Amino acid sequence: MNAHSALLKPLKIKNLVIRNRIMSTSHADRFADGGRPGERLQLYHEEKAKGGIGLTMFGGSSSVAPDSPAALWNGISLESDDIIPHLQQFADRIHKHGSTLMVQMTHMGRRTRWDSANWLVPVAPTPKREHYSRSVSREIEDWDIRRIIKGFGQAARRCKEGGLDGIEVMASAQHLIDQFWSPMINQRTDQYGGSLENRMRFGFEVLEEVRKQVGDDYIVGMRLSGDEMIEGGLTAEDCLDIARRYVGSGMLDFVNVLPGQLNDMINYAKYLPNMITPSAPFLYMASAIKAEIDIPVFHATRITDLATATRAIEEGHVDMVAMTRAHIADPHIVNKMMEGRVDDIRPCVGASFCLSGRGAVCLHNAATGREGSIPHTIPKSLIKRRVVVAGGGPAGLEAARVSAQRGHEVILFEAGEQLGGQINIAAKATWREGLANIARWLEGQVKRSGVNVRMGHKATAADIEALEPDVVVIATGGRPNFDGVEGREHAISTWDILTGSVELAENVLIWDDSGYEPAISCAEFAAKRGAVVELSTYDKYPGEEVSKANLPIFLRETYKHDVVFTPDRTLKRIYLEGNKRIAVLANVFTGEEEERAVDQIVIEQGTLPDVGLYDDLRPRSRNLGEVDIDALIAGRPQDITNNPEARFQLFRVGDAVAGRNIHAAVYDSVRLCKDF
Amino acid sequence: MIVSTLPPLVVVGLATVVAVGTLSTRAHAWRRGRVNAPVRISDLLNVPRRYLVDVHAIVDRRPIAARMHTFAAGGFLLTGILGLLAAAGLLNGHVAAVVIALSGMSGIAGATFAFARRSPRKPSYLSGGLYYSLPWLLGLANIFFMGVGISSAADLMVAWNTPSGIILLLTGMVSLTGLALITGKGPMRHALAGTLHLAWHPRPGRFNGQSADTAFAQIDLDAPKLGANRVEDFAWNELLGFDSCVQCGRCEAACPAFAAGLPLNPKKFVNDIAGSNAPVQYAGSPHPGLPEHREQAGPILIGEEGASIAPETIWACTTCRACVDACPMMIEHLDGMIALRRFETLEHGATPGKAGDLFDALRETDTQSGNPLPARLDFAADLALPLMKEQHPVEVLLWIGEGGYELRNQRSLRAFIKLLRIAQIDFAVLAEERDCGDAARRLGDEIEFLRLAQANIATLSRYSFRSIVTLDPHVAHSLTRDYPSLGGNYQVFHHTTFLDGLVREGRLSVEGQLNGRVTYHDPCYLGRYLNEIDAPRALIDKLGVERVEMARHGRQSFCCGGGGGGPVTDIKGKQRIPDLRMEQARETEAEIVVVACPNCTTMLEGVTQPRPLVRELSEILLEAVERRSS
Repeated sequence: MNAHSALLKPLKIKNLVIRNRIMSTSHADRFADGGRPGERLQLYHEEKAKGGIGLTMFGGSSSVAPDSPAALWNGISLESDDIIPHLQQFADRIHKHGSTLMVQMTHMGRRTRWDSANWLVPVAPTPKREHYSRSVSREIEDWDIRRIIKGFGQAARRCKEGGLDGIEVMASAQHLIDQFWSPMINQRTDQYGGSLENRMRFGFEVLEEVRKQVGDDYIVGMRLSGDEMIEGGLTAEDCLDIARRYVGSGMLDFVNVLPGQLNDMINYAKYLPNMITPSAPFLYMASAIKAEIDIPVFHATRITDLATATRAIEEGHVDMVAMTRAHIADPHIVNKMMEGRVDDIRPCVGASFCLSGRGAVCLHNAATGREGSIPHTIPKSLIKRRVVVAGGGPAGLEAARVSAQRGHEVILFEAGEQLGGQINIAAKATWREGLANIARWLEGQVKRSGVNVRMGHKATAADIEALEPDVVVIATGGRPNFDGVEGREHAISTWDILTGSVELAENVLIWDDSGYEPAISCAEFAAKRGAVVELSTYDKYPGEEVSKANLPIFLRETYKHDVVFTPDRTLKRIYLEGNKRIAVLANVFTGEEEERAVDQIVIEQGTLPDVGLYDDLRPRSRNLGEVDIDALIAGRPQDITNNPEARFQLFRVGDAVAGRNIHAAVYDSVRLCKDF
Repeated sequence: MIVSTLPPLVVVGLATVVAVGTLSTRAHAWRRGRVNAPVRISDLLNVPRRYLVDVHAIVDRRPIAARMHTFAAGGFLLTGILGLLAAAGLLNGHVAAVVIALSGMSGIAGATFAFARRSPRKPSYLSGGLYYSLPWLLGLANIFFMGVGISSAADLMVAWNTPSGIILLLTGMVSLTGLALITGKGPMRHALAGTLHLAWHPRPGRFNGQSADTAFAQIDLDAPKLGANRVEDFAWNELLGFDSCVQCGRCEAACPAFAAGLPLNPKKFVNDIAGSNAPVQYAGSPHPGLPEHREQAGPILIGEEGASIAPETIWACTTCRACVDACPMMIEHLDGMIALRRFETLEHGATPGKAGDLFDALRETDTQSGNPLPARLDFAADLALPLMKEQHPVEVLLWIGEGGYELRNQRSLRAFIKLLRIAQIDFAVLAEERDCGDAARRLGDEIEFLRLAQANIATLSRYSFRSIVTLDPHVAHSLTRDYPSLGGNYQVFHHTTFLDGLVREGRLSVEGQLNGRVTYHDPCYLGRYLNEIDAPRALIDKLGVERVEMARHGRQSFCCGGGGGGPVTDIKGKQRIPDLRMEQARETEAEIVVVACPNCTTMLEGVTQPRPLVRELSEILLEAVERRSS
């Protein structure tokens, strides 16, 4: 049998057949259009259906009432019948590919804001402060309970009429239903508080109303926590008891078990664990519940590879494996598995770029969430061109990959001995090693698609012209930026520390004016190797631009190793005194200066583009480097001729344009090269 | 006159006596075999037609060898007859002398051909030993008959007591007695045994021009011994068949197992059985990796002390039938192979490798992979396949086969199902489809085959359908050739034939949508067994691609290694058969190898890259159809 055959066993729930055991859970993809599933959101999910997924759930925290506004993250509102035709269109779109579609519905209770769409005060079983949403709430009243229960019922009816295959009632991550369950939040003394039975009452009433509206045949499940993992919260035993009781009522068709809750930043990072966490860290929670109940159990949380997914099913831990983030990285997982092309699956590396507030976009797959303009499978070009790419970092590799997929002849020059560019540096930072898989996948794709890779060859203009290319893509990246600091020659870069090209000293000052991962990565790296580290930044806190699933981990790790943070500082100058380097830091707001005597000063201001080759080739190119930006955005081929005698077109991508990140680099490349 | 013609007749008579002596030993040995059907002398009348039509068609695949045989055998026989007629005074005159001279020269030319084939170096597929003497003996015999004939006809009477007369007589004595002697265990054995074999061939169906007689004979399950492990367990005419081997090595050259260095040489295998029956000189290639031939072997063929055939030899066979198809003597290598396999499997339970697991799986689940029957349709959960039990009569019963359980072949099946939908074919599948029994039968487990076949026939009898369509040539072959004798008679189409029909009828439009260079690998059970060579090629030629052929294609196709239970018995050789086949594909510089059998798909796709892509015909056809509609 096949390695992954367990995953390909259909699951039958009542009259619904799910063709395989791989699903994507509801999440805040941020692609809705005025509370409805618009074109972008539908295409995003349709791509997974096309890619073979068994079940895709959309609409994380879709709202059933106006005081639980989904507008905060551009989500789905199930509050009116207007949505029904949109759901019907969406369901047809998914069913066409043989897949199934469900939605999550919730009331978030206190876990929302008072100043959002409708400026309604959030409700809570007991009004207490919550860190994550800084909520100010009021105690839920009987009329609220009636109103919200009715809202759940009506939303469920709309889903059924909209042709969705089922619904998931959200009762995890401390939304209203599980706020009632949690003794940490619910301190009521009426019939909704006190005993577990009382605390579960609201949830039962919601399910009863939902069943009343959709009948017994419709698929209704519940997402619940397997263990809140927080002091005063629900324990694993409590969660098991809750699951057993709801399932025992016969009103549920599945449970979707997730860990923890979202009480604050660090709990958020545990709920959505990044690459520091090993594979399938909370499978045991779902498995424990599965052992006690007799309906299908779904589970998500950092299951990113098929081997783990297969184990989860084969060993009977769960009935459906959610590979939600893995599908953001590659929506064609199932098809590639069925086609025996497991190596072609673009891996989810746990970088959590999809949790950085930009919606469901992937750090290294620029097509996800942009299905309308960027195809996941690059179609072949009608004419064959010769494309030369200079630079083998993420931008260059992606340019080579896409050009080769287009059917062109591709030659890639890499000056160094390793492909992957700055990814190789970033991956050196402690738990950031997973990033290396991005480069590894790109390298595999590039080599397999027949790109002629010339390693250890820093291409010159003459080298490139000798190849008589039709298109030249400059992806030479950038170099660390030391600008604006007097005495910069006494400073080193985060590259120097991470690559080990400069030996780490005892006392290190890192000054950051980028807000991204390098400085805090470097601080953690240095501190874990025994250095005394101060991380000073121009911003109000370190890592301001870092994904909220990563920053808490960076902070936890750096705090653990006694890194000192000094925000709101600018580095004015550096001078030598004895064998020490003196850094003059100035408070951004007051201008007050202070000095640090340290052994090493690291400056992180991102990179400046390496444009030598670009400048050499520009006058000899047909477009003189000019990009037709309208055509780029519209997805039309570049066709500017400023220099008719010249043969080749010339473009820059990635950090060779300006220092940004991996996503920008691959997006630059795929957006441009798909039209070559 | 009598005095003068007597010496040459004495020489011929002496040789005849020797020949009768050696042949009676052989004839005695054939009589050890069972007699299945009445032996009618009138069956000898079959010989001329079978020789001139069926044998000729095969011999002529190697034109030079064919000419060699025409001259060597024809020249010798003609010169002998004419020479004797002249010696007996029945032919006279200069014209007759000239005719005899020309005939003799032809015979000598044929002998020279035969000599030249082994000179300066003998090709490995040809045998040496006594075969080296054959050209000389034939040449000398021709000279003798020429001498006798010309001198008698032209009345240039030779005095036998002169030196030249004595030399001529000695020439005749040596050559003719020599030929008579090598009629027993040597090369000339093929002449008589081969002729008789044509008359009483165990598979008369072979000669109807379609080679459709490929089902294995059923055995009596109540017999004291199942299968064969001694020469006497074969029928007399089967033993005759093995004795008719001329050691030309065409089977050896065709055999994929031999090419890959697996311990099987079909030529040697045939001579192993013949030699166990009565001594045979074998001076050809051995079974790769096994010891040399033992000239004097006992009657035990396999499975016991002193057996002449090693078990790995019979299990190395993929049942691809290339040997049978290549044999100019119409020998049934495979019947021998299966008889021995039946004994090893049914009497000793000695099927090697993972065959035991396969038998267990078949017995316990009715599938080769040990899966529940309903799980066969899991791969198409999202395609909502209509079931026979819910919807019949239908036009087409789609037989899913073992491929339904296997990831790679599920893709082919899905593509074919989509094509059926596009062509709006009224079809359904069986929820209760069992394995067809092909693998069990070819691995010698006749009992399991019968059980499965009878169960399937009972299932099929409940439903009404016009035809069965399958992607698996092994299934198609089993249903059409193995099932009829059990009462199962169906119209069965391999999907390539069926799709070709759909395209011809205009129900699928595929024209000119693809490009590139492709080669087509004929599955043995489709091309050689079912004779479907054209339909897949007709389909490919409509796609717009450039089709190139491998050197071995059509009926001469080279096996992928996946037949006859090869993947489960897994006998080791120097190389893997699929690697050899893929190398042949690489030589065509094709980008894609098109396949039309789940076994071929799995075997060829298992070859390490870089290599051409392996695509099932349905897959590229679907791509073409979808391109056309988009």
